[in-house]
Amino acid sequence: MAAINWALIAPLLVIQAILLIVALIDLIRIHATNGPKWVWAIVIILVNIIGPIVYFIFGRKTS
Amino acid sequence: MITVEHLSKVYGTEKAVADLSFTLEAGTSTALIGPNGAGKTTALSMLTGLLKPTNGSVRMENVQDIRREIGFLPQYPHFYPWLTALEFTEMAAKLNGVPSRHAKKQAESVLDFVGLKNDKFKKTAAFSGGMKQRLGIAQAIVHKPKLLVLDEPVSALDPVGRREMMILLKQLQQQSTILYSTHILNDAEEMTGQLLFLQKGRLVEQGSLKDIRAKFDSFRYKVQFSSKGEALHFASQSPWPTAVEDCDVFIEINENVPTMQQLMSQLIGLPFSIEKVERVTMTLEEIFMKVVGQ
Amino acid sequence: MRTFTILLQKEFRESWRSFKFLWMPLLFIFLGISDPLTNYYMEDILNAVGNLPEGFSVTLPEYAPIDILKASTGQFQSLGLIVLVITVAGMINRERQSGTATLIYVRPISFMALFMSKWTAASALGMISAILGYAGSLYYTSILYGSVKFIVFMEMVMSYCVWILFASAVALMFSAMFKTALATACTIIALPVAIMIESLIGQYWHISPWKLADYSVQLIAETNNEYYLKTLLLTIILTVLAIILGILFTRKNAAATKI
Repeated sequence: MAAINWALIAPLLVIQAILLIVALIDLIRIHATNGPKWVWAIVIILVNIIGPIVYFIFGRKTS
Repeated sequence: MITVEHLSKVYGTEKAVADLSFTLEAGTSTALIGPNGAGKTTALSMLTGLLKPTNGSVRMENVQDIRREIGFLPQYPHFYPWLTALEFTEMAAKLNGVPSRHAKKQAESVLDFVGLKNDKFKKTAAFSGGMKQRLGIAQAIVHKPKLLVLDEPVSALDPVGRREMMILLKQLQQQSTILYSTHILNDAEEMTGQLLFLQKGRLVEQGSLKDIRAKFDSFRYKVQFSSKGEALHFASQSPWPTAVEDCDVFIEINENVPTMQQLMSQLIGLPFSIEKVERVTMTLEEIFMKVVGQ
Repeated sequence: MRTFTILLQKEFRESWRSFKFLWMPLLFIFLGISDPLTNYYMEDILNAVGNLPEGFSVTLPEYAPIDILKASTGQFQSLGLIVLVITVAGMINRERQSGTATLIYVRPISFMALFMSKWTAASALGMISAILGYAGSLYYTSILYGSVKFIVFMEMVMSYCVWILFASAVALMFSAMFKTALATACTIIALPVAIMIESLIGQYWHISPWKLADYSVQLIAETNNEYYLKTLLLTIILTVLAIILGILFTRKNAAATKI
C-alpha cells in the first residue's frame, strides 16, 4: 500500500473543519433556528460536509 | 392634499373595499375605523400602491409617483434580521431618493427621534415588538414623506409600548399628514382629527369627532344610588324612560326629557342617599356601534 | 440604476452575513478536489475496503486530465447545482412570505432593478464558487495527472459561467412565480433533474443549454464541436427570456407580500 501523502489530503480536511467550525459558531450566535438547536448541532457534527451545508440552507431562520 | 376616488377592491365576488372616496387635507390626521375584516388594511394597501385597485384612484397634488411621498408602517413590520436598524433605515432613505450623502445622517436623526439612539447598531433580529414598531416609524418618516400611512400602529403593543407610541404619534401629528387605521376606538379619540367609519368595505360615516358626536351622540344623565334596590325603586317611579345598571340609573335626554333642574327637584324629595349625578356622553365605540346599526 | 446599486449592496450584505460566500465556494472546492484525489487513491481505497481475492489485481483506467475535469463537472452539476439552485429558488418568494418584502415594495423601486440585483448576487455567488471549484480541481489534476493548457481551461470555466448565469436566472424566475416549496420543486426539475434526463436520452439532439457544461469540458480537448456556439447562443437567449419573465412575475406577484 502506497504511503498516503498527507499534504494532498490536508485541504479536504481543512475544508471540512472550517465548515464545521463556522456552522457551530453561527449556531451558537443565531437568535433562532428552524427546529431545535441541539438537533442541528448533532447534524453539523456528525454528517460530514453535508451537515453544515444543510444547516446553512435550512437551519438558519431568515425572518 | 390627497384625493381618493371610488376606490374598490374585488376578490372574486367579494368586495373587500367598495367605492371608497375621501380627501385628506395637508397637516391633518385621519383615522380609518372599523372592526377586523372591515377592509382597513386592503384600503391602506391600495393607497400605498402595494395593491392594485380594481377600480378608482388615489391622487396627490403635484405628485407623479405617489410611492415617493408616502411613508408606510404595516401592522406587523418585518425587517431583515441581518441588517442593523441604521443600515435598514439608511437603505430605506436611499430607496426613496434621499441623496447618499444625507441618507445616513437623516437615518440617524429619525432613529434618535423614535428613541432607538442606543440600539441603532444592533441587528433587528434582536428587536422586541415595541422596538420594531419604532423602527417601523423611523423607516416610514426617514424620507420626509407628505403622507404617513400607519396600519394599526398601536394595537399589537403592550400598555407601556402603546403609551410610548401614542406620544410619538402625537408628536408626528404636529408635522405631517397622517392616515392611520385602528379598531381600538379610544386611540382615535385621543388622536382627534377626521374619522372615517368603515364597515364591510364601505364608508358608512365621516367627519370630525365633534361633528360625529353632534350627529350621533345622545346625552344621558346618570344617577348613582348606594344600593340597587334604591335604584330600582327610583326607576319605577320616574316619569322618564330609564335603564338600570347595578346602582346606576340612566335617563336618556331628548326633547321631552328633563333638564338638570327637573331631575334635581325629582331627586330632592327622595328618602335615598344619592352618591352621584352626572351627564354622560357616549364613547366613540358606542357611537360607532350606533352608526353601523348594531 | 441607483435602486439597483442599493439593492445589490443589500443582497451582498445578506449573502456575506449568512456565510453563503464562505460555504458555497468551500463546497465547490471540496467537490472539485475530491475526484482527482479519490481516483488517485482508488487502488488503495479498493484494497482497504473490498475483500479482494488473493492474487486479484485491479487495473484501473489511466485517467487523462480531461477525464478528471469531466468528473469534477459532474459533481458541480449534481450536488453543487442542487445546493446552488435551492438557495436561489427562495430569494424572492421567501421575502414575500415573511413580509420583509413589504417595506421594499412600498418604495419607488423598479421591479427590474429588484430582480436584476438578486440575479447579479446569485450569479456572482455561483460563478465564484464554480471558478474556485475548477481551480481546485485543476490544481490537483495538474499535480497528479498532467497539465492542461491554461487558455483552454479559462475558456471552459468562462463557458461554464454562462451556464451558471442561465441556471440562476431560471431558479430566480421560479422564485418570482411561485411560493418556496413549488419554486424549489420546479427549479430542481428544470435544472439538476433535466441534466440527468439529458444524459439518459440526450443523444437524439445536439443543441440544448443542458449540454452546455459537457460541451464546455470538451473545449479542453480542442476538437471542433459544430454545436457548441449554437448551444451557447441558445443558452444566452433563454437566460434573457427567463430574466424577462422573472421581472414580469416579480411585479405581478408583488401584491402577494404579507402585510
